[in-house]
Amino acid sequence: MNKLRATLVIVLVLIVFIAGAKLFLVPKKDGINLQTARAKGNSQARVKIVEYIDFQCPACAYGVKFLKTFFDKHPNDIYLQVRYFPLTKMHRHAMVSALYSECAARQGKFWALDDLMMPQQSQWAQLISPEPIFQSMALQAGIDPKQLNACLASVDARQVINNEKSLGQSLGIISTPTYFINNKMVVGAKSLQDEISTYFPTGK
Amino acid sequence: MRLAHTSQPVNSMWCVLRIFIGSIFLISGLGKLFSPYQNFLYVIQSYQIFPSWAEALTARVFPSIELIVGVFVILGLWTDWGLKGAGILFGIFVIVVGQALLRGLPLESCGCFGEWIHLKPQTVIILDSLNLLLTFVLLRKFFYTKKFSLDSYFDKV
Repeated sequence: MNKLRATLVIVLVLIVFIAGAKLFLVPKKDGINLQTARAKGNSQARVKIVEYIDFQCPACAYGVKFLKTFFDKHPNDIYLQVRYFPLTKMHRHAMVSALYSECAARQGKFWALDDLMMPQQSQWAQLISPEPIFQSMALQAGIDPKQLNACLASVDARQVINNEKSLGQSLGIISTPTYFINNKMVVGAKSLQDEISTYFPTGK
Repeated sequence: MRLAHTSQPVNSMWCVLRIFIGSIFLISGLGKLFSPYQNFLYVIQSYQIFPSWAEALTARVFPSIELIVGVFVILGLWTDWGLKGAGILFGIFVIVVGQALLRGLPLESCGCFGEWIHLKPQTVIILDSLNLLLTFVLLRKFFYTKKFSLDSYFDKV
């Protein structure tokens, strides 16, 4: 075998390998689970979004703000569901913020807490312990403190968060925010804006 | 005789370093190929250097280029071209990370890289610069770098 023929064989093997990797090994889709307390909007909407989020991630805060503005304009056109993907090795308050959110969700107050927590992310993210702020936000959101504290101490809430993160990892998620917009995977706020604009071309 | 005897491991070291450089690209390319391309697109977007169309194209094509460069450098086939390609890629990494550092982009906290990379951008740029330097040295010592390679096999045939 000469050098050119060997090159050709190796290139062909690599092409087959890359095509195989693209076709068979990359997971892509995630469907909406309609039973969650962390969903809002019209369940029959033409745009269904699953959002994997780390509450301490700045890009997630930006994505939340963008979606909230968009949602306020198009309440009937979007169905949004949030799932947990705390980057605990990177953000020290990722798990505790997710726990508060999950416990708020169990009292039907997920969005009320989310509306307080995300805009103030840059403040509580700097704290050694953000729990006093979260407790105060919880009260403001109308969450029962007794139930909240019982939930925070339970293993179950943490289990839900870890299970959702494992589900996300099985779908190929490694970073946040990651969205599935009508089952299409979109990562980051910029791609979110680009993808949403394909459904609402005028940006209105 | 004595000199030749002691220099043998040193000569082999260049081959090991060649495989090391190739492995960096092989592992990096495989990691990206086996992950949804959107993850790498997000990383590229975080550097805020390319227009949107170039970001998407880079996210699609770059992992395959890394894999091809890695395989060719490890096997030692068209080694000089492979190493030149590796040098260009390391150069691109240094420029892209460097401009992000100069502009103060929040690469560490953005969540773009997920949890599996804990290196600070400053560390990344130092490592990439060292790898770039090593690639230049491998090209300078090409006679030794080529040892145990397909190139040297085909040269003999």
